[in-house]
Amino acid sequence: MSSSAAPSQDMPPKGGFASIRYERRLPRRGPSGVVMFGICGAVMAYGWYRVHLGLDERRELDREKMWSRIHITPLLLAESDRDEYRRNWAAVEREREIMKDVPGWEAGKSVYSGRRYMPTVIANVPIHQQK
Amino acid sequence: MVNPGYKHFKGEDWVDPTPPPAHLPTVDEVGCTGAPLKSASFFIGSMCKEYNEDFMLCKNETRDPEHCLLEGRKVTRCAIDALQKIQSKCLSEFRTHWQCLDSKNQELGRCRQQEKVLNQCLFAAFGWKKDVPGSPANKPQIHERKPLTS
Repeated sequence: MSSSAAPSQDMPPKGGFASIRYERRLPRRGPSGVVMFGICGAVMAYGWYRVHLGLDERRELDREKMWSRIHITPLLLAESDRDEYRRNWAAVEREREIMKDVPGWEAGKSVYSGRRYMPTVIANVPIHQQK
Repeated sequence: MVNPGYKHFKGEDWVDPTPPPAHLPTVDEVGCTGAPLKSASFFIGSMCKEYNEDFMLCKNETRDPEHCLLEGRKVTRCAIDALQKIQSKCLSEFRTHWQCLDSKNQELGRCRQQEKVLNQCLFAAFGWKKDVPGSPANKPQIHERKPLTS
């Protein structure tokens, strides 16, 4: 209505508003991030060191086991070779005895024509030739 | 006649009692179970190195068992000799160790105490030293280390 009164408008106080403290103000507690990162790294490094020790021990145990087997392999192989030769020889002798009436029969002749050694596939023991 | 097969399988059916042929020189078999062999393996390996390598090189030529009978007899005689030597000086230590191996699933790592005694006895008697080939040179060998877990 009356246009003489000056309009009043809310204005900021003189000098402006004080700044608003919006960040949290908490006391610093515990180690910093870098330190925690370092602790984690140290724990993992120690763990990997122990893993390395264990792997190293296991590798050496395996090496020892393999060499203990390698050292007695010739012995076992020689023994089984003698047994195989004895059994094969006995089987050929039996075959010769059984087939002595057949002319032209070669006892113990390989079924292969090559000269490479082939072990007999069928176990030939006396029990199979008994009546 | 017994048919070989699943139902009638008996171990004695497969035994061939024929003695070895007369034209071969006789040789005693070792007649030893696994644990004593494993206990003595490194000493057999170091003492019979030439015979073993000779035999394996011969086996490399052909698989025929007849081909390497001579070398095989040498290998067996040497192993018997090694075992008798061990037993002549360190019988009780040897026995303790292989009985431990027998009860510990034949794992060498679980019988280190007995092995240490045996190795010391053999070193004192014959100067034999256990050596695992291929071990890293900058660390003690596995039988001289302290085990991580015991």
